[in-house]
Amino acid sequence: MSKVPALELIDIHKTFGDIEVLKGISLKAYDGDVISILGSSGSGKSTFLRCINMLENPTRGEIVFNGNKLDLVQGESDLVANNMKQLTQMRQQIGFVFQSFNLWPHMTILQNVMEGPLHVLKRPKHEVAEYAEHLLRKVGIAEKKNMYPNQLSGGQQQRVAIARTLAMDPQVILFDEPTSALDPELVGEVLGVMRNLAEEGRTMLIVTHEMNFAREVSSDVVFLHQGVVEEKGTPSQVFSAPKSERCKAFLSSVF
Amino acid sequence: MDFSVVVEYFPRLLEGAWVSIQLVMISIVLGGVFALPIALARISPVAWIRAIPFAYIFFFRGTPLLVQIFLVYYGASQFEVVRESVLWPILREPFWCAIIAFTLNTSAYTAEIFRGAIQAIPPGEVEACKVIGMTKTQMYRRVLLPRAFGIVLPAYGNEIILMLKGSALASTITILDLTGMARTIIARTYTPMEIFLAAGAIYLVISIVIIAIFRQIEQRQNRYLGTLSIKVPDKG
Repeated sequence: MSKVPALELIDIHKTFGDIEVLKGISLKAYDGDVISILGSSGSGKSTFLRCINMLENPTRGEIVFNGNKLDLVQGESDLVANNMKQLTQMRQQIGFVFQSFNLWPHMTILQNVMEGPLHVLKRPKHEVAEYAEHLLRKVGIAEKKNMYPNQLSGGQQQRVAIARTLAMDPQVILFDEPTSALDPELVGEVLGVMRNLAEEGRTMLIVTHEMNFAREVSSDVVFLHQGVVEEKGTPSQVFSAPKSERCKAFLSSVF
Repeated sequence: MDFSVVVEYFPRLLEGAWVSIQLVMISIVLGGVFALPIALARISPVAWIRAIPFAYIFFFRGTPLLVQIFLVYYGASQFEVVRESVLWPILREPFWCAIIAFTLNTSAYTAEIFRGAIQAIPPGEVEACKVIGMTKTQMYRRVLLPRAFGIVLPAYGNEIILMLKGSALASTITILDLTGMARTIIARTYTPMEIFLAAGAIYLVISIVIIAIFRQIEQRQNRYLGTLSIKVPDKG
């Protein structure tokens, strides 16, 4: 393939104190890819996802977004952004959905969704309001737009968080275990929204424990174990015929 | 006990109360203005920037307010430069000396309250700002400060009441605030019980008003917020 990946991570390392959590992970995501990142807890998958937009500073490695290499310099113990402007611009185009939603509780649902495009992208207010309402309808929560986050269930909050992310029109969306903090009966509504996004052709990287979802929705699956990529391939390869013993053991423990 | 003196001197007591209210209001407003940059410096990632407000807060929390008032009122005039400076007409007035001491003192406490509030904001909400590409300034203006304002209210109301009670110390540098006025009246009438009871009652009424105002703001501000609050050390 000659085209430039939307997102390319090269040899990402991360050390916390003496513990090396990521031992050199590389990954390419092209436009339209839906990549699920699987692994048992402690495998480093969330840390890896958080390194992509520098919520966690990698100790070593390169982050390339649309062919532009993120300017990193050696800080005290890890790499830090050398050019804050470049980093904030990259972050504006990479959405991130948290496990714990992280809505701003002092703003209404609508304000939460409008915040980014209005104050970061500085788009005109009427346009933003219209778009925000459209997105809230899309995630099925338009009727709650004037409520506050604490008045919503976890599943509803996560759907608002997804709408908030979409409002920035990101090129790539990162999902960090978006359903892990939810009661089982609320998981489905969030996965449903994510499934629609995948079908729209959005580029997504998903850290998840929802194996059936990963199998049905992903274009690629990456299995991490102790900070390295243990297995990688299409869902049918990884789920039906895993090559690595670790991956086999993991899959048999979750199915 | 003869409460007719209270009736007779009540207008004078109210005059004193007005002076107390002015002392508290001016120093709270100025203190609040100073407290914000002090608090922000206090949470700076740079060690030496952190050290300055740390020393400031350490001094003003670790020494009695009375000593601070005396330092400003009696101390400043020791210096030729102060007496000859353009500020002397202000520094010579006990009222403004009290304002300066109170402002410095309350800004140290308020800075600690602000710092606690900003640090009490769940880190996830800050990360949510980062991931949409907010700058530091946007983050503070749009999320951190509005959030901190809601968290700060109960502790801040408490600080104002402590300041009100602390303002009684202004009477030691000849200011006729509520306490000073009460002492002046007593010197004339020899009725300490009646006048001090009346003065205490007036302080109580002011406190109740402050509490009520803050309860109102708090309910408005925190309508839909969770029960996030911080503990602040009490003033000794």
